[in-house]
Amino acid sequence: MTRSTPQGRPAADRLEIRLAGSGGQGLILGARILFEALAVEGRRASQSQSYEPTSRGGFCHSDVVVTEDLSDFPLVTGLDVLIALDQVGYDRSAGLIKPDALVLVDESIATGPAGGRLHRLPIAARAVATGSPRIANMVALGAFVALSGLCGPEALAEAIRRETPEKFADLNLAAARAGLSLAEPLAA
Amino acid sequence: MLEATRTLPFDIKDYLRLDTMPHFMCPGCGHGIALRALLAAVHDCGIDKDRLAVVCGIGCSGRVGGYIDANTFHTTHGRPLAFATGLKLARPDLTVVVVTGDGDCLAIGGNHLIHAARRNLDITCLMLNNEVYGMTGGQASPTTAATRLTSTTPSGAIEPVFDACALAAAAGAGFVGREVTRQAPALKTLIARALRHPGFAFVEVMSDCTEIYGRKNDLGEAPEMILSQKADMRPEARRDAPDQPFRPNALPTGVFVERDLPEYGERWRAHAAALRGETER
Amino acid sequence: MTARLTALHGNHACALAAVAAGCRFFAGYPITPSSEIAEHMSHALPRAGGVFVQMEDEIASIAAVIGASLGGMRAMTATSGPGFSLMQENIGYAAMTEVPCVVIDVMRGGPSTGMPTRPAQGDVMQARFGSHGDRPVVALAPASVQEIYTETIRAFDLAERLRTPVTVLYDQVIAQLLESVAIPPPEAVKVAARKWANGAGGFQPYAADDDGVPAMARPGDGHRVHTTGLTHAESGFPTQSPAVADRMMRRLLGKIDLHLAGIEKTETLATEDAEVLVVAYGITARAARRAVTELRRDGVKAGLFRPVTVWPFPERALLRAAETARAVLVPEMNAGQLVLEVQRVIGRAPPVRPLGRIDGEPMTPGEIAAAVRELARHA
Repeated sequence: MTRSTPQGRPAADRLEIRLAGSGGQGLILGARILFEALAVEGRRASQSQSYEPTSRGGFCHSDVVVTEDLSDFPLVTGLDVLIALDQVGYDRSAGLIKPDALVLVDESIATGPAGGRLHRLPIAARAVATGSPRIANMVALGAFVALSGLCGPEALAEAIRRETPEKFADLNLAAARAGLSLAEPLAA
Repeated sequence: MLEATRTLPFDIKDYLRLDTMPHFMCPGCGHGIALRALLAAVHDCGIDKDRLAVVCGIGCSGRVGGYIDANTFHTTHGRPLAFATGLKLARPDLTVVVVTGDGDCLAIGGNHLIHAARRNLDITCLMLNNEVYGMTGGQASPTTAATRLTSTTPSGAIEPVFDACALAAAAGAGFVGREVTRQAPALKTLIARALRHPGFAFVEVMSDCTEIYGRKNDLGEAPEMILSQKADMRPEARRDAPDQPFRPNALPTGVFVERDLPEYGERWRAHAAALRGETER
Repeated sequence: MTARLTALHGNHACALAAVAAGCRFFAGYPITPSSEIAEHMSHALPRAGGVFVQMEDEIASIAAVIGASLGGMRAMTATSGPGFSLMQENIGYAAMTEVPCVVIDVMRGGPSTGMPTRPAQGDVMQARFGSHGDRPVVALAPASVQEIYTETIRAFDLAERLRTPVTVLYDQVIAQLLESVAIPPPEAVKVAARKWANGAGGFQPYAADDDGVPAMARPGDGHRVHTTGLTHAESGFPTQSPAVADRMMRRLLGKIDLHLAGIEKTETLATEDAEVLVVAYGITARAARRAVTELRRDGVKAGLFRPVTVWPFPERALLRAAETARAVLVPEMNAGQLVLEVQRVIGRAPPVRPLGRIDGEPMTPGEIAAAVRELARHA
């Protein structure tokens, strides 16, 4: 199986991904789904998150470190990917971004000097249009999968079905599709 | 099993580890009377000593278990009820008796007493109250009466005392009673009732520490101390006068609480069985 | 049947492993960051025919665990530093009375309430010396969710084989980390059966066999033995005889030495020609592994020695790993604990340096690598 890192670069031995924002945005669920989507394709990862009471807001992050070495350091040290859903999430994570990282943020966020791999997308707006502001996490995941090719859209859909309650499955899947379509034109 | 009674006459030697004799209790100590009453009650209830577990803490009361020819556990200070909780939940087939003291049960182990009473697991708890820490040389305990002299109250105790029975009852115990060592037959009957009670049963045994507490407070020799119990005790007084303020020198005796409450072990097993039923469906 | 991969958080893996190892009794008290273990056990045990009970405090929790084990059940509790402190007296009781049980300690920042949601490795010496007096000590320090699973099972095996409490030490990071775990099929889970007394007369409950471990009397089997935390003779009854006390204590402590080969477990990376040896355990060992990998890429001769069993400390394995070392670095999330043991084992040369972190943050590969480079320059 050939593996590629974001935008088709040769596989690094390790890939560090962060979902950042505020408590209550479903960041931990988002990372868990990403973890599961990788598992669907037979890949292993470590997923960690802020371990504080943040369900009522405040900076929150959840991280996925993709590595085949099961004993490798499971926490982020320098981000290959940052997905930020709000300003606080971006600001508190910006210092960890590697020079050539893929940065995917909501269009409302003011970012630092934009490299070639910065994508500002209407994530929140697309979530609202799809049915709820609470599914911005799924829109972002869809967009990330389209931009990075880290896993297939089918694996993402399968992971969403596994990890989210049945009654929200359709809405979450629609949000992920919205994210995919948002980013697909940019991915080529 | 507990409803059966023995027809053979009680011989204490059948229930003692004779090779542990002589015991180390002081002359005149009331704990020996409590031990005999417990063993006679075990006999009356027809409890198989192979299936009898006696769990003790630390202190003079903690040494009582070692003389009993049963499964005996001398645990850590204040914790016998917590050890017994694990043992009884793991082995509901055992009759579990805790023998503890006023310091073990009310001071360092007070938290475990109230939660054992609340949880209502089928454990019989005998608290031998001699109003003092005898093993460590006679320090004040939570039941040392006001003005009494101990090695840590050299000018007389000033703290209020616990009414252990009221505490156990308030915490939810299904069976609560008190008796004095002077009334040995009544004590045996009370312990037998406690053993038969299906749930947490608390029995406070008013014992005497003659060698240390009695001597220090000029309470006389063992016979005088035993005799003085009669004047101090008022059988069934609690039921007659529930609002009576607690006075350690005028203690009511008898059964204060006897009520059917759901026993925790059975509750747990039914709860778990129902869950297994659900998962099997 | 082969192992199946399941995504699990560390504390969930711990609970599943305990049940797989035959644990049927859990008593505990809520405490961050270990509470998920109790939560999972409260779900799993009634369904497995076991017992879960939430006790009034940690002292009662370990007491109930010992009581259940005395009754014949495999039993466990889980806690964090403050609760581990409260449990120490009764852990000593379990060691003295030789009652198998497993204590999980998910380490958080201390002392006192400290940083409940932050990782630390500050209980390593508490696991060794927390209980008064000398006692046999076995403590395992898994570094991944997979290893939490395998080491929890091993903890039960060692507890049963040695008749002693076994501590599993890990920190908040791997407790809440989600990783894929290979769950072995039930027939592949090996936990020693307890050595029960066979009901014959004249039984001496603390007369050991050649393996240093006495058979245990199960209540109801007719032995009617006495169990006490007092120093006792082979009969189980207290003794004041210096000769008997000496014999019993030496046997109690010595049973660990008799089984050392089966208890010790270590891992090494690139130690064959290492000039700077990093000694690390738990999550810190994974940062060290990353650092060593990157240092080697840059031509720095670094190596890693990781004790999975921290107590008894694997002395000979460390000495072998340190043969070529000109300096030893011991990074830990504390102010310098296991480094004291490493210094004791290594002696005066090569120099052994601590690298402590006590700010509630996990040690990073970068800071370990920087410290190694510094040592390599001067070594």
